[in-house]
Amino acid sequence: MSVDYLLHESGVGYAVFKVTIQADTVGNRLKEVQEGSQDLAKFGKMVQLVSFAPFEGASQALQNANDISEGMCSNYLKGVIEMNIPKAAKKSKVSLGVSDKNLASSIKGSFPYIDLETGETSEVVADLLRGLRLHSGKLLKDLQEGDVERAQLGLGHAYSRSKVKFSVQKNDNHII
Amino acid sequence: MGAKGGQKVILEPHRHKGVFVARGKEDLLVTKNISPGESVYGEKRISVQNSENPKEEINGDGPAPATTTEYRVWNPFRSKLAAAILGGVEDIYMKPGAKVLYLGAASGTSVSHVADIVGPTGVVYAVEFSHRSGRDLINMATRRTNVIPIVEDARHPLRYRMLVGMVDCIFADVAQPDQARIVGLNAHLYLKVGGGVVVSIKANCIDSTAAPEAVFAREVQKMREERIKPKEQLTLEPFERDHAVVCGVYQRSG
Repeated sequence: MSVDYLLHESGVGYAVFKVTIQADTVGNRLKEVQEGSQDLAKFGKMVQLVSFAPFEGASQALQNANDISEGMCSNYLKGVIEMNIPKAAKKSKVSLGVSDKNLASSIKGSFPYIDLETGETSEVVADLLRGLRLHSGKLLKDLQEGDVERAQLGLGHAYSRSKVKFSVQKNDNHII
Repeated sequence: MGAKGGQKVILEPHRHKGVFVARGKEDLLVTKNISPGESVYGEKRISVQNSENPKEEINGDGPAPATTTEYRVWNPFRSKLAAAILGGVEDIYMKPGAKVLYLGAASGTSVSHVADIVGPTGVVYAVEFSHRSGRDLINMATRRTNVIPIVEDARHPLRYRMLVGMVDCIFADVAQPDQARIVGLNAHLYLKVGGGVVVSIKANCIDSTAAPEAVFAREVQKMREERIKPKEQLTLEPFERDHAVVCGVYQRSG
């Protein structure tokens, strides 16, 4: 089972990648194959950035982070998928690799013509998504060094603050 | 200046980069405070002058004051990582500039020391599920911008995939019966090939009826099944009872 496109979700935005060189399922666990995805020069040839859709602000990022963590497909993500993944002819469906099976079923609900693969169903997809995470700062060309971490920091605080039921202003006094 | 005001203290780097030893009346494990002037949980701080010949007293019209570096004392009775370092662990897989995924961050007391170790160029992704501890963790992280607080369940690592990058090391202190599985799930998603795993195991939390050694052995076997090659195991005596720290290296191939 091959995968044509990959969805990468990060604190800075969504990115859709096209898989240019299909990986081999059989040799996936070989040392050489694993080392290949470590190397940006080699991995950069296996995938190609189709589109990068950055979040426009902190509130949009937080909303999408909440949707993603629940496995829901937000309207923004729907737009990104609609724009970037071609509607294939009836016989050959386009397949999209995502990390989460809940998100996969949400996307399937909105886009019946897309076949979905997850990291759980296919180890090749899991490895490709690992590679994207490892090299995302370099593969997303508009980004500066450290942008991903900054976005993660802001989003991490916003996400965690929205989760905590207590007032975050108060502090427990530690007794040693 | 010193732990007990005015005592002479000499700072030496520890074998593990980013960790230091303060040699005074008694030796203390310390880390370089990334947010000088503040304690996180009431721990003692030690200031050391950077210049070669420290000025005895600084007057307003004297020479420019020498810069000082502040260190925070790391209590091995409160931190399993500190206990492991004092126990002589071979490698903690954390060093300045490293990225660490910290599972079971609690209130962030140990996390603050890990943040000191990785320094401003490193990142600590601190995951804690409890809301009450998570609140303290968030507050600690506001002063330390290399800590990314994540209040979420480490059993479902995909939920925080937008907040985490690939890491060099996973440290786990979750004290759950299925902690090997939790570490494995996180490693498959976020740990670099060849990255380190440091797991603190409390025998009672896994199985209170079996002998601690048997529990440790079983956990090591479970880690192997998660493609983590165990490198060493040490108990945390005399700081903790029936605790062990197991370190390993993540191997995706093979």
